[in-house]
Amino acid sequence: MTDEMNTNPPVEAGLEMFQDTMHEFLAAADVRVVYGEPILHDDTMIIPTAEVLCGLGFGVGSGSGTNADQNPDKPSQGSGSGGGGGGRILSRPVAVIVASPEGVRVEPVIDITKIGLAALTALGFMVGMMFRMSSRRHALPTSEE
Amino acid sequence: MPAIEREIRTGETMQVGDYQITPTTNVLKIRLPGQRAGLIWNRPKAVTVRTSNGQENSLPVRDVTRLVIWYMLAGGLLGAILIGLMYHKD
Repeated sequence: MTDEMNTNPPVEAGLEMFQDTMHEFLAAADVRVVYGEPILHDDTMIIPTAEVLCGLGFGVGSGSGTNADQNPDKPSQGSGSGGGGGGRILSRPVAVIVASPEGVRVEPVIDITKIGLAALTALGFMVGMMFRMSSRRHALPTSEE
Repeated sequence: MPAIEREIRTGETMQVGDYQITPTTNVLKIRLPGQRAGLIWNRPKAVTVRTSNGQENSLPVRDVTRLVIWYMLAGGLLGAILIGLMYHKD
């Protein structure tokens, strides 16, 4: 009885936490996650939009065993269970919807840092290939040799 | 339950002046079969704007940053291939 009282609350708390996490994970698929709260400024309403990427993984396990090494007549028994998990939510602004009396328009949000990094990577591809090709040409033996 | 599921979700309509704005999103759900793991990718698709005189217009929400990044990486890869071909010809 005492043992049950000691072991059940952590299991229940763990399950409750897992349910909360799953609930949060599934909420990532909701429209309200992508379209933010509208901001009203004079006659203009601004709605921020973002893309959301959410990943989650978990695992549970349990096992039991007996130990007859110390007392073969009365082997001791034991069991245990455990679990763990992890996840991550990434969010990135995509555009802003501007609604005014003149009309509704979508203004994109441009991430200069990411574009700069992509440009450097693209340049790296080309420079890398140039170096590779020129070093290969130098390594080729000439007909005189 | 499918391992990869794609759906288009529609949000609540908002009234701004004479306009009714309805947002839609593109949701991609990936569940790893046999594993207790999953991924949800939710991104804006478009907003449908309806005016008081009944005109309906759909404005796509384009991710310009992603488009530019993909074009740049494709250009870099293509450039590297072209450089390789040019050296081979010489």
